[in-house]
Amino acid sequence: MSNNKIIDLGSSEDPLVLDCGKSIGPIKTAFTTYGELNETKSNAILVCHALTGDQYVASEHPITKKDGWWSLLIGPEKSIDTNKYFVICPNVIGGCMGSTGPNEINPKTGKEYGLDFPVVTIGDMVKAQKLLIDSFGIEKLFSVIGGSMGGMLVLEWLSKFPSYVFSAIPIATTTNHSAQNIALNELARQAIMADPEWKSGNYNIENTKPVKGLSVARMAAHISYLSEQSLHEKFGRNLQNKNKIEFSFDADFQVESYLRHQGFKFVDRFDANSYLYITRAMDYFDLKAENNGSLIEAFKNTNAHILCASFTSDWLYPTSENKVIIKAFNALGLNVSFVEIETDNGHDSFLLDEPEFFQTIKGFLDATYKKL
Amino acid sequence: MSLFNTDRDFSIISKMIPSRSKIIDVGCGDGSLLDYLIKKKNVDGRGLEIDQDKIRECLAKGISAIQGDADIDLIDYPDKSFDYSILTYTLQATKRPKKVLEELVRISNKAIVSFPNFGYWKIRMSLLLNGKMPVSNELSYSWHETPNLHFCTIYDFIDLCEATDIKIEKKVNLKKNVIQSFNNKEWFENFFSGSGMFLISKK
Repeated sequence: MSNNKIIDLGSSEDPLVLDCGKSIGPIKTAFTTYGELNETKSNAILVCHALTGDQYVASEHPITKKDGWWSLLIGPEKSIDTNKYFVICPNVIGGCMGSTGPNEINPKTGKEYGLDFPVVTIGDMVKAQKLLIDSFGIEKLFSVIGGSMGGMLVLEWLSKFPSYVFSAIPIATTTNHSAQNIALNELARQAIMADPEWKSGNYNIENTKPVKGLSVARMAAHISYLSEQSLHEKFGRNLQNKNKIEFSFDADFQVESYLRHQGFKFVDRFDANSYLYITRAMDYFDLKAENNGSLIEAFKNTNAHILCASFTSDWLYPTSENKVIIKAFNALGLNVSFVEIETDNGHDSFLLDEPEFFQTIKGFLDATYKKL
Repeated sequence: MSLFNTDRDFSIISKMIPSRSKIIDVGCGDGSLLDYLIKKKNVDGRGLEIDQDKIRECLAKGISAIQGDADIDLIDYPDKSFDYSILTYTLQATKRPKKVLEELVRISNKAIVSFPNFGYWKIRMSLLLNGKMPVSNELSYSWHETPNLHFCTIYDFIDLCEATDIKIEKKVNLKKNVIQSFNNKEWFENFFSGSGMFLISKK
């Protein structure tokens, strides 16, 4: 089902103007699609990926050879039924799976951008997605859906391109990072930059790879995606292939071994500079500050049907932060629904097999589709 | 609790709500009442419901519903968000009924509230003769497992409204299925009605 495409959007004459003031054009966007766009172009669902996600949402990943990250949710006869809906999932700009980002060649120098790549924002990512949607001639997306950073992109769509969004599903997300969110991202960035192989971001040119820094970054982030309960249940204090502690710094505990594995396998599929850029974009995202402290102002022009979802054990984007968004939608009198899914799986829940969560999405989408 | 005569109550509630009103059903369950009012009165409806399984049923019907608790989440709605709010047979299960009623008349112009009447003669007789907390088809929980925290009589409800900033605009005679203006407490209503239903607003 994989059908990765890469499209050039904009041009050097008509570039994408970024929030930082710089321009890039044309920009490349790598994306996958599933299902068929109907004649009236009214059945399109834009799926927005999270920090380390990519366009392989429902098809095999070319590097890991694993099923797409939301293949449980999206496909023929699944909750997001691709016999009915046309699903588009682009890789964000700043990413590393084919869209314009720090890992791509700078046309001005003929070498990888590295840190010469301009700092991009969630707003810039959405502007690029909008160009992609325009290229299909779609004037109204039936739905925009995403979790975590994907949820930020959904909120940005609702705020900046309200007339393009008929329904929206922001999941386990926030309108602005808390100090704790920023702190965790900074920890990850410092881990990358502390790796001597990072070479001030020029590792591609110098033929090195900051695998240690990037894997430590992933280990730290991975802890934040789980919950204390799930870590306890999965690993407890169990030892890894041994009966007693060995008075060394090898991975005595299963949880250590698990995290190291998560870190090592991550570096095969992700770029260190992309990690810096995308975490920065998330930290900068602040719909409230952008609108003089008012989320009501941020969303005042939307009349989309909205479903918000959070997870009880998510401490990265807890229910309380999702409720702030709902409060703004309520104040605007929007058609907003909300569920808090009970689970021990932490922030990662939105990527896992949570049948109640999937049914909620299916019910919402199918009933909302009838209102088109 | 089967005290709720669905057909009767849906139809009388529908009579009180003008077409195209914006309403919220607090404790909306599976969205049946909202669905009925959307179809019959073309209302713009929202639900608040504590039970997630029921929220899913609402969504599948195309009804917007928020998972939340009347005791906690009504404060998130601005003043006069709705034309009407509806609270059917839920008041007795709230932790702070007075606060909930005050929130209802704050977030909406008018509120329709119904509740089981503990002044009903059968309930009085049951306690008098059996000496035990009444359990019936209508109030089917044993005292130790009931979700109901704050039972009241029609008298109690009227007294509470009088003591607070709440005006009773109409009363519903559920036996005769008519909406009547409210003047005073009537002892026979408190004695002969299995449940009470009132239309209230902020004084």
